[in-house]
Amino acid sequence: MYRLTTFKPKSFISEFFKSIFLIDFIKGLVVTFYYQRPSENITEQYPKERPSVAERFRGAPRLNKDPENGETLCIACKLCQLACPIDCIEVGSEKIEKKNILTTFTYDIGHCMYCGLCEDACPTPALELTQEFELATYQRDFIWDRKRLEDGPVITKYKR
Amino acid sequence: MVEYFLIPAVQILIIFLVLLLFVAYATYLERKVVAFMQVRLGPMRVGPYGLLQPIADAVKLMFKEDIVPAGADKWIFMFAPVITMIPAFTVFSVIPFSDSHTTVFGYPVHLYITDVNVGILFVLALSSIGVFGIILGGWSSNSKYPLLGSLRSAAQMVSYEVAMGFAIVSVLIYSRSLSMIDIVNAQKDMGWWFAVIQPIGFFIYLICGVAETNRAPFDLPEAESELVAGFHTEYSGFRFAIYFMAEYANMILISSIAATLFWGGWLSPFPNVKALSFLQVVPGVVWFFLKVFFFMYLYIWLRATLPRFRYDQLMRVGWKYLIPISIGNVILTAVLRLYFRT
Repeated sequence: MYRLTTFKPKSFISEFFKSIFLIDFIKGLVVTFYYQRPSENITEQYPKERPSVAERFRGAPRLNKDPENGETLCIACKLCQLACPIDCIEVGSEKIEKKNILTTFTYDIGHCMYCGLCEDACPTPALELTQEFELATYQRDFIWDRKRLEDGPVITKYKR
Repeated sequence: MVEYFLIPAVQILIIFLVLLLFVAYATYLERKVVAFMQVRLGPMRVGPYGLLQPIADAVKLMFKEDIVPAGADKWIFMFAPVITMIPAFTVFSVIPFSDSHTTVFGYPVHLYITDVNVGILFVLALSSIGVFGIILGGWSSNSKYPLLGSLRSAAQMVSYEVAMGFAIVSVLIYSRSLSMIDIVNAQKDMGWWFAVIQPIGFFIYLICGVAETNRAPFDLPEAESELVAGFHTEYSGFRFAIYFMAEYANMILISSIAATLFWGGWLSPFPNVKALSFLQVVPGVVWFFLKVFFFMYLYIWLRATLPRFRYDQLMRVGWKYLIPISIGNVILTAVLRLYFRT
């Protein structure tokens, strides 16, 4: 097989002078010096700048409402409850005039693994996993009821 | 009475406090510069741009629990960091920041604390005492890694002191005096800084200076990944802070001596050239601090760039290469000075 680079033996004199005058060492110093320019620096300062995540990122769940009349889009078909591999979702419904109306909807985000199977199973655009990933709280309130799901997750803005 | 006691006491207090401030902000400078060279930002949250980070570190270290390991030699354990710190700070009494005189309430005040006839010898002697603190600290910790780290560190410091001494001797051949002020004045008389006349001596001094303070690339004895933390493994809280301050004070010391001996102390570049006399507008103290700042930056730059020497490579460089080169430099300088008057 052919080698990609061949080994060329350097002359003894040039190697000797390179080690006396520390040429490679100074080249290394120049490289690290030039790494200091601000265009190289891609650090994102977290609480002030949030990372921009993809549109399909699976974050906190939200129960969407119809934008025109404000009613919930959920048809209480319970497909999300069937699809969830961890059984985080509990859907409660009642039958009014031959239509299922949603009454209670609880979602346990403590156990949820954000796989998105419930979002895929839902036939309407009601259940959606948003891009919100900052879900830490001070109390153990991991079971979200319908109202909190419809309001959507709360984003805290940091000023510094 | 006042001149001999009160004024030096006030000067000592001022220099000590300023030095503590510089040591604290040297840690900040190091973190920021190493971070920028590693394409990241360093401390940014504590104050504006992280400027209050050293204060946060100091407060944290003061509140940490003070652990003395079981089986450790208690008094020596407590005293060892102090042995390292005291010479590191005391040496600043002979370093001249400038030669300008002012009068305060009618008494002449100069910007250095004292000008000993044997200034540079005093500096070398005190920096050798600092080695004791390291050996005693590691030995009294009653633990394997500090013991090994301290022995290696002491051996390294002792072997690089020889080469450093010879590099300094090559400067003394030109300055004919051990006093620090006379060395700077000799550079003024010659018109050139000694780094230009003695480049070999300068580089050897820098390399030995980096090795003396146990800084990268010679920091195997205290490297975080090699020997846990070397001789200061068992130290926590404020004792660790004392070792840390002593290390940074030693860095500032080596930088100041390099600035004084090789880069002209408080002189501006090309001090005798009339065309550049506009540079004299900047006071000598400012030039001195700029030079010290450059050497500190060089220290940090070296840390961010170079990998670490293995211990046998380190000792080989010190004994087999640097000492013969520095002795050769002294002989060459002496011959040139004697026969050619250069």
